[in-house]
Amino acid sequence: MRTLYLAFKYSAILLWSAFVIFPFLWALTTSFKTANGVTGGATWIPWVQYEPSIVGWQSLFGGAGGINVMQPFANSLIVTLTASAISIALGTLAAYALSRFSFKFLWMRNSDITFFFISQRIMPPIVLSIPFFLMLRTLGLLDSLPGLILVYVALLMPIAVWVMVDFFNGIPRGLDEMAWMDGCDPVTTFRRVILPNAVPGLVVAGMFCLIFGWNDFFFAFTLTFTQTQLLPVAIVSLNSSVTPWWALSAAALVSIAPLVVLAFVVERFLSKGGLAGAVR
Amino acid sequence: MAEIRLANLAHAYGNGSYALKPLDMTWRNGGTYALLGPSGCGKSTMLNIISGLLKPSEGRVLFDGQDVTDKDTGARNIAQVFQVPVIYRSMTVADNLAFPLVCRGVPAARIKARVTAVAERLGLARHLTARANRLTADQKQLISLGRGLVREDVSAVLLDEPLTVIDPQMKFELRKTLKEINREFGLTMVLVTHDQNEALTFADTVVVMNHGEVIQAGSPQELFDRPATAHVGTFIGSPAMNFLPATVEGDRVVLAGTGLSSPLPPGSGPLTFGFRPEHVGTTEGMALDGRIARLWFEGAEQIASIETAGHVFRARLPGTTASVGDRLSLRLPISALRLYRDERLVA
Repeated sequence: MRTLYLAFKYSAILLWSAFVIFPFLWALTTSFKTANGVTGGATWIPWVQYEPSIVGWQSLFGGAGGINVMQPFANSLIVTLTASAISIALGTLAAYALSRFSFKFLWMRNSDITFFFISQRIMPPIVLSIPFFLMLRTLGLLDSLPGLILVYVALLMPIAVWVMVDFFNGIPRGLDEMAWMDGCDPVTTFRRVILPNAVPGLVVAGMFCLIFGWNDFFFAFTLTFTQTQLLPVAIVSLNSSVTPWWALSAAALVSIAPLVVLAFVVERFLSKGGLAGAVR
Repeated sequence: MAEIRLANLAHAYGNGSYALKPLDMTWRNGGTYALLGPSGCGKSTMLNIISGLLKPSEGRVLFDGQDVTDKDTGARNIAQVFQVPVIYRSMTVADNLAFPLVCRGVPAARIKARVTAVAERLGLARHLTARANRLTADQKQLISLGRGLVREDVSAVLLDEPLTVIDPQMKFELRKTLKEINREFGLTMVLVTHDQNEALTFADTVVVMNHGEVIQAGSPQELFDRPATAHVGTFIGSPAMNFLPATVEGDRVVLAGTGLSSPLPPGSGPLTFGFRPEHVGTTEGMALDGRIARLWFEGAEQIASIETAGHVFRARLPGTTASVGDRLSLRLPISALRLYRDERLVA
């Protein structure tokens, strides 16, 4: 009975792992193939099943048969990091205010306002894209990094607010009250007392912002033309009349690399007990 | 260190119902006060008004004659120990103690001296470099207290049920420390509690509250001897005060079938005699003979439930010799008899 259970457990785990890992494996092997290598169906073992080549990888850095991804990579990095930083900074301040003070605007109270922040993430992106397009055109910011940063802040800040409001609500109000009694002004209370306790929340919110910002294709696609290209758009643009699967796969791997690094850093932080004792 | 005056203070919600009914009191500088009452009686509301976390809807709060009603919490220079220990988790014990002085811009050397002195006094000196997070609940409460003590001019220390989450064996220690600190530093201390024992052993003046109203404020002895209402008589003292229905006979009030009697007070409403089980004796006073119906063991004494002429009351009997069914010849000194009309003390 126990053996049966173990067998079932491990086969389920293996099956799922394979399901998750295979696309990566496929991209990894394909990135080292040539046109001959990809036509014969899925093959996995280099030198035996196919002849490895670094043509795909070369093409990413200026070689023939692809595009240089360095510029789009840098663009994506600038847009994502700047937009995430602004979103976290503004979102955290807004969240602290929403968590600690009572607001009233017409019939709307704090919870309505918090929902108002997230509500634009509920709308399909296509609905937002046209107003965004018109606004950026009016501002003369279409097809530019500042324009994209502006749009991404609008998209990412609700996530930061949403995560941080919840996190601040979990930090006892007594802590603020005690700081006031100790003679601390609200700004110092936030900076020296509340913020150090909110680091795990900041990490989570930051991670969400970076992932969503980095992976967004839709707005990067609709709000840029030729001058400014972000990585997801650059990768898709490889897909022309003849798709260079090897270059596409290599580019895909380059694009996930920062997130993989991020995942490992955050995982290390969490396992070190970064969250332990965060709230009481 | 300050005298706290609550002048015609009250707090009402938007719908007009009172969380705290109008009251007027003065708490002397260096005194110990306890706000005693069940949950939701308004004692925490009162504390929050004093600390400035809540603005009263009526009346003024004065510290040493200065109106602080509109001043915010920081400007009032109050320290508070909360029910659940609240400390700055991300800081060391030393930084926790230093924080109120840092916020007030005190020079670093002075801060160091104060923190060292206070930590020494509270027995936290060994832990100064430890993360405050790591300490036990009672030590955390001492840190909260310490954040008040580092300010030599702290107006008052407010204690909001600070012993609730403390281990029983540490409770006694912490209470002793609080009392000592009060004497050494001459601090005004206000303890909020629902535990009569805590209130009576800690405070010189106990303020009994119920339903948002101050029912009686007095020394533990006064509350014991002359409870202002039947509620106070029942709430304070163990066993509770005896309350027996009295009847009017001519110009006197009597307890039918016993020797209890007192002059008829003016007014109308049902009359009740009240007396403490502790005051029932055998030598002098009005006759209160009866038969023991039940007995409770209490170390060197016994508490007896006594039946007399259709009434039942409790008495504390010295020694352990009585047994159920005994007929006793008891007396109540005239000075120990209280008369209540509509549950309020009239004589």
